[in-house]
Amino acid sequence: MVQKILLIEDEDLLCDLLQKKLSKEGYEVFIAKDGEEGLKKVKEIQPDLVLLDIIMPKKGGFEVLEEMRNDEKLSTIPVIIISNSGQPVELDRAKKLGAKDWLIKTEFDPGEVIEKVKNIIG
Amino acid sequence: MNNADVKLKLKEKEKEIEKLQKQLQKERLDFDSAIKLLTRKDVKLVITQQELEKKILDLERAKEEQMILRIRELAKARDIENKTAQLEKLKESLLSALADLNKARKEEEKEKNKTLAIIQNFVDGIFVLDNDNRVLLVNPQAERFLDVNGNDLIGKDFLELSHLPTLNLILNAIGKEIKDIFRKEVKIKENLILEITIAPVMLKEERFGSLIILHDITREKLLEKMKSEFVSIAAHQLRTPLSGIKWGLRIILDGEEGELRKEQKEILERIYQTNERLINLINDLLNVARIEEGRYVYKMSYVDIVSLCMSQIESLKNEIDKRDIKLDVEIKTRIPKTMVDIEKMNLVFQNLLENAVKYNKRGGKILVKFEIEKDNVKVTISDTGIGIPEKQKDKVFTKFFRSENAIKMETEGSGLGLFIVKNIIEGHGGKIWFESKEGEGTTFYFTLPIYSQSDFLEM
Repeated sequence: MVQKILLIEDEDLLCDLLQKKLSKEGYEVFIAKDGEEGLKKVKEIQPDLVLLDIIMPKKGGFEVLEEMRNDEKLSTIPVIIISNSGQPVELDRAKKLGAKDWLIKTEFDPGEVIEKVKNIIG
Repeated sequence: MNNADVKLKLKEKEKEIEKLQKQLQKERLDFDSAIKLLTRKDVKLVITQQELEKKILDLERAKEEQMILRIRELAKARDIENKTAQLEKLKESLLSALADLNKARKEEEKEKNKTLAIIQNFVDGIFVLDNDNRVLLVNPQAERFLDVNGNDLIGKDFLELSHLPTLNLILNAIGKEIKDIFRKEVKIKENLILEITIAPVMLKEERFGSLIILHDITREKLLEKMKSEFVSIAAHQLRTPLSGIKWGLRIILDGEEGELRKEQKEILERIYQTNERLINLINDLLNVARIEEGRYVYKMSYVDIVSLCMSQIESLKNEIDKRDIKLDVEIKTRIPKTMVDIEKMNLVFQNLLENAVKYNKRGGKILVKFEIEKDNVKVTISDTGIGIPEKQKDKVFTKFFRSENAIKMETEGSGLGLFIVKNIIEGHGGKIWFESKEGEGTTFYFTLPIYSQSDFLEM
């Protein structure tokens, strides 16, 4: 069965590039451009993994993560944070909310992002 | 006359005689007693006379002595006259000295008043304490800052003023005693942050008390915060488009959108590297902003720093080979694991090694050495590069510093690397220093304290 990945990211270029790369790897990719849409789609799609940006319009990544953790049906879905922020306090907060990893976008190539995804859901 | 008559007469005469005799007797007795009395008086007189004579003698003797005394006094008087003249002279010189002294005192008074006026009108708040920490002086600015009346505080123990809310904040920062050197920021209220400085007051080698200076840094703090926030936001906003460029170029470079011609690939590779430099510069700026905000948090773990260094050497391999540089690593004793923040130590090795490569001669050498010195790991990284000019040596660890010869050789570089490196090493409780000779090379040394595994577990 094809694994579903939900990409919640407001930056168009990054979204497109990652989507392409992930599709090539055989994942089914869904896109949401803000936190609110993201949360709606998580419930709808029940993805195998979520790639989540932090600073986004309408609803930030932390709010999305928190609401997912408080929802029984969503709390077990693995989440990887992809953000350009990355202060220790933020990392700790994400960790406490059960995020699997925190990738600073400028420090990783898309290929490395794919590797992290594969490590978690194969 | 008859006999009888005669007889009678005789008898009468006899009686008369008898009477006279008696009277005579009586008178004689009286006389006797008078004589006796006289004799007694005479004796008294004799005694008196004797006494008088003695007194006269005494007086004469006294007179003689007085004469001698007077003669002596006269001699003395002459002596005194001489001495008086001398004294007069002395008095004159003393008076003139006194006049000078008065002038000096007035001058001093004027100077004192001037100093006092300066203290009273100083923009900083000032407390002067004596050696027992009793308040000697409070200037109006200190009263204003702390909302207190100085007169109420004079003579009181400064450390016992915690019942006043503003002073309580300051005392909490100062602690239980007045230290000789002290500097701390204290937020008194919204819109008032004071920097409290304590300095000993010396009067010719002798300690006379302490000076507490309250300096208003509210505006500085606000600007600092705004600057840091700006840098944080700017850095974050800049990173987003840069990551777009990075990811896009990588995908094209990996040939995922079709094969590239060699020339195309070369140009894109260089754009990618340029973009990486921009990312590094922004990371540096972000790190500096965090250091300055005091938000540079260390996440310590127990690691082998030799392997951290090796992986940084590995990622510089291309540059090292390109410049034909010979790099040696010397480890004579086993280096135990150390407690460090991995990410930050990577930055340290990356910066120091990059400098050693970038500013080296073609075909130059780099030596990396790990040693144990007391309870520290000592790391030495020396190169045979351009070195640091003598007159610029004291600026090496300052922000945005780049030496003249480094700029000539390589225009790229933020001048933030060594500033960050120094902060990181010191943040680990270590020390960093260097030796350098222009044109011959530079050696950087740093130490990191070794903690045992149990130390780490306790922390």
